[in-house]
Amino acid sequence: MAQTVLIAEDESFIVESLTFLLTHAGYQVAAVDDGAAALEQMARARPDLFILDIMIPTMNGFDVLRKMRATPELAGLPVLALTAKGQEEDRRRMLDLGADDFVTKPFSNADLMARVARLLGHPPTDSAVGTSGP
Amino acid sequence: MARLPIGQRIVARRREMALTQKHLARLAGISASYLNLIEHDKRQIGGALLRRIATALESDSSHLSGSDDARLAGELLDITRQSAASGSEIDEAGALDLVGRQPQWAQAFVRLHRAWREARETSVALSDRVSQDPALVELSHALLTGVTAVRSFAEILEQHPDLPEHERNRFCGIIASQSANLGSTAREMIALLGGSGDAAHTGSPAEEVDDFIIFHGNHFADLELAADRLRQDLTGSDLAGAIHQRLREHAMPVPLEEGLPRATQRFRLARRLAERELAELIDEHLVDERLTSPEARALARRALASYAAGALLLPYSPFRESAESLRYDIERLALRFEASFEQTAHRLVTLRRPGAEGIPFAYLRSDGAGNLSKPFSIPGLRMPRFGSACPLWALYGAFASPERTITQLAEFPDGERYLFVARRLLKGTPEHGGIAPAYAVMLGCDAVYMERTVYGDAHAGGGRSSTTPVGFGCRSCVRPACPQRAHASLLAPARGAGAGHRSPGGG
Repeated sequence: MAQTVLIAEDESFIVESLTFLLTHAGYQVAAVDDGAAALEQMARARPDLFILDIMIPTMNGFDVLRKMRATPELAGLPVLALTAKGQEEDRRRMLDLGADDFVTKPFSNADLMARVARLLGHPPTDSAVGTSGP
Repeated sequence: MARLPIGQRIVARRREMALTQKHLARLAGISASYLNLIEHDKRQIGGALLRRIATALESDSSHLSGSDDARLAGELLDITRQSAASGSEIDEAGALDLVGRQPQWAQAFVRLHRAWREARETSVALSDRVSQDPALVELSHALLTGVTAVRSFAEILEQHPDLPEHERNRFCGIIASQSANLGSTAREMIALLGGSGDAAHTGSPAEEVDDFIIFHGNHFADLELAADRLRQDLTGSDLAGAIHQRLREHAMPVPLEEGLPRATQRFRLARRLAERELAELIDEHLVDERLTSPEARALARRALASYAAGALLLPYSPFRESAESLRYDIERLALRFEASFEQTAHRLVTLRRPGAEGIPFAYLRSDGAGNLSKPFSIPGLRMPRFGSACPLWALYGAFASPERTITQLAEFPDGERYLFVARRLLKGTPEHGGIAPAYAVMLGCDAVYMERTVYGDAHAGGGRSSTTPVGFGCRSCVRPACPQRAHASLLAPARGAGAGHRSPGGG
C-alpha cells in the first residue's frame, strides 16, 4: 500500500505542486489549509509523513507541532517543516519543537523530494544526491 | 550534438499549409515513403533536399533545420545547469526535443526563468529590510509564495516533458500568472522602500495615476486657483446652470443621462468644462515621469479634470469653512454643496492648502469583493494598495449597514488610534430589475482630530468600549486572539512581549 503524506499549507498553488510531485513519486496525498484541520486529519488518517507550513491560519505550525508532540499517538510521526527564507529563528524553533527536517521556500523540488524519501525511510535516489543543506 | 528534430517541424509546417504527405513529396521530388522517414527523423537530410522541402513549404531551411533552436536549447541547458543543485539536469537531446516540439513553451520558459531570477534577486536583496516593516512583511510573503510556485512548476515542466496537454497548459498558466504577480509585487516593494524603482515600468496605468496623485499629496494648487477663477467667470446665481450655458457656448453637447443622480450629472458637466477650459494646465501635469503610457496619461487627465470639477463645485475656502462649522458632517456638507457623499468625502482629502489646511484624511475605496481603489495614506496610517486591509476596518463594516454612515475608533497594535468614517454607496440608479454596483468609501484621520468632527462624538472619552482593536492586515498583525484572523501573522513576536502571539494564551 502506498505511503501517505499529509500537507498543511494554505497557498493553493504550492499545495498543487507538492501534490503533483508526491503523487508522481507514488505517495498518496491529502492536503488541509489550516492548523486545526491538520490535527483532525492526522488523528483520523494517520499519515506516514506530515509536511507542515509554519504560516497557516487558525493554529500556526509551532502550535500544531506542540500539540502533536503532546499527543502520544502522533508524537512519532515524522514532520517536514516548510519555512521561509530569512526566518532562521523560526527554523530553530521548529527543530526544537521536534520537526525532523525542514525545507526553505523557495525550495527545489529535488531537495524536497530527497528529504521526503529520507524521512519515509527510502534510500536517496541519484537525483537527490548532493542537494543543498539547511 | 544531438540530432535536431527536423521532421517535427516539417510535419508542423506541412499541416499549417494543409498539405498531404503525398502532395509535399511530389513538390519536393521525392517519394511519399521517403518523406515519411524524414518526418519521423529516421533520415537526416540537409543541403539541396532540405532547401527543396523548405521552398515547397514556403519556409527557409534554417528555420526547418532549427539553428535558431539550437541557441534556445542552449539557454534551456544553461538554466538547468544553473539549478543543477536540483539534481534534475535535462540533456541536450531533451532540450532540443522541447524546442522542436513546443518552441513557444521553450521561449516562455526561458523568459519566465529570467523573470524568476530577477524576482529572487530582489527578494534576497530586500529581505533584511523586510523583516520588521509590516507592509513589507505582507509583500515579502506574496513574493516568496510566488517565487516558490514559479520555481516548483518550472522544475516540474522541465522534468516531466511528457505531461498531458491540459496539465502542461495549467502549469504554464500558473507560472505566467504568478510571474505577473511577482512583477507587480516587486515593483510595489521597490516603491515602498522609497526607491524610484524602474520609472519605465511602474505598474498598471491606474497604479501610476495613484502614484502621481500621492506624490502631489492629493492637492493641486494651480487647479484650485484656476477653478476659482473659472467660477468667478461664470455668471448667474446658479452654478450648474452657468456651467451648462458655458458648455453650450463651446458648442459642447450636454447629454442628460437618465438614471444618474443630480449630483453626478452636475459633476460630469463640471468635469467636461474643466477638460475644455483648463486643458493646458492639466496637460502640463501630464509631462511626468510617473505616467509612462498613453493610458496612464489619459487616466491622469481624467483624474485632474475630476479634481478641478471638485474644486469648481466645492470651492476651497467656502468648503473648508463649512467643513469646520458643520464639523465635517459629510452628509450635511453634501447637501449644502449639492454634491454626492463620495464627491464630498474625496474633496475633504484635498484640503491641504498650506496655511489653510483641513483635517488630514486618509482615503480608501473597496467594492464588495474587496478590490481596493483610490488609496491615499497619511503619515502613520498607510492605506493598502492591493490585497486587503484589516477585515475589521469600518470600510468593510459599511457593507453591512448600507443605509448609514458608520464610524469607528480604530486602535492599532502599537496603540495609535484613528477615527474611521465609512459608508456603502451605489453607483447610479439602475433600471427596474438591474443591479447598481455597490462599493464603500472610508475616510480616516488621527484620533487627535476627533473632537473637531461629528463622528468623534460617539467615541468621546475614548474608553476601551468605544475602540475597536484592528491592524493593518493579518500577515503583519500581532494580535493573537483576533476573531477575524484569516492568515497567520508573519511577524515575529515583539521583543519583550512575553510569549508572543504565536503561543496560545500568549501576548
